[in-house]
Amino acid sequence: MPNFVFLFLEFVKVGLFTFGGGYASLPFLYEMIDKYHWFTSNDLTQMIAISGITPGPIGLNMATFAGFKTMGFCGALIASFALILPMIILTTFVFRFYLKFCESKIIKSILYVLRPTSCALILAVGLRLFYELVLNNDLTFKNINYIGLILISFLFILTFKLKRDPIIYMGIAALIGIFVKFC
Amino acid sequence: MKVSFWNLFKLFLKIGAILLGGGYVIIPIMQSELVEKRKWLTEQELCDYYCVSQCLPGIIAINISILVGYKTMKLLGVFASLLGIAFSPFVVILIVANLLNQILHIPFIDGVFWGVNLSVIVLIYLALREMWPKSIVDKFSFFWFFVILILSILKVSPIILIISSIALGIVLYFAKRGENNA
Repeated sequence: MPNFVFLFLEFVKVGLFTFGGGYASLPFLYEMIDKYHWFTSNDLTQMIAISGITPGPIGLNMATFAGFKTMGFCGALIASFALILPMIILTTFVFRFYLKFCESKIIKSILYVLRPTSCALILAVGLRLFYELVLNNDLTFKNINYIGLILISFLFILTFKLKRDPIIYMGIAALIGIFVKFC
Repeated sequence: MKVSFWNLFKLFLKIGAILLGGGYVIIPIMQSELVEKRKWLTEQELCDYYCVSQCLPGIIAINISILVGYKTMKLLGVFASLLGIAFSPFVVILIVANLLNQILHIPFIDGVFWGVNLSVIVLIYLALREMWPKSIVDKFSFFWFFVILILSILKVSPIILIISSIALGIVLYFAKRGENNA
């Protein structure tokens, strides 16, 4: 099968199985790296950062970006359309009885289990990034990126003082990054 | 104001261009544009739409747009609102992605992304911190969180984990109903 069919199917999957906001689609995007090598882990980290500060929903931005990285303009179109397609079908279908749907006990029960699942999947992505960027893919702790570790610890401390606006953290990290590269 | 394809498209074009961040940000914008200025929706309807969007898979902002589009003009409205909301993000990402290819080799930019990539870990933590209180509500949800975390680190596919969670939710529902009937 040609590549664009896989791209389409993968993003239909993301649209259909993402629960709990844009970051919840990350586990699927990381799985695509391992499965198809369409883009690298480093590419994806950049996509997350850029999608957070450009206009529009993060999940849609990441899909557009990932599609573009994979197959250029057509890839961006295919990925965005595939992502939205299941939502169009499900949401218009539910429209007629949406109040009943939301209050039904079975949906509540499913969401009760799905919410911790989303949290765990997102944390696993965070740990993977920590492993790649800070431990440099080495679990024996011999290759630790110490400057990176200090930067992250510093940003973590800031999260207790500042708002959750991502651009603040990225701005600070960018400035420190420039400083580190030129010193 | 009368609802037409063009009006709906223009409104969502505006929302898509000024929307920054997650689905929560869209509520105040829609409140002022749809409920107060145009009166296409009541406050209660917007509130309900937000609630339903959270119960459905996908992106919250997109699901709300579909609901608003469908309510105002059926499928044509869905088309107009989605085209509107997706247009600016799509164009901006294409421009940035193209630019990025040309500037990534500059050492200055390399430094920027060295820092920014690390900050993504903190962004993920922030997203998680916001979801946590709604998600981990009792001992079982905490336990389930750990089970999924471990399976996910062992590289079990996310789709399998999500489908099993949905299945477990259904099983729990019937188990509870059985208990109440007995």
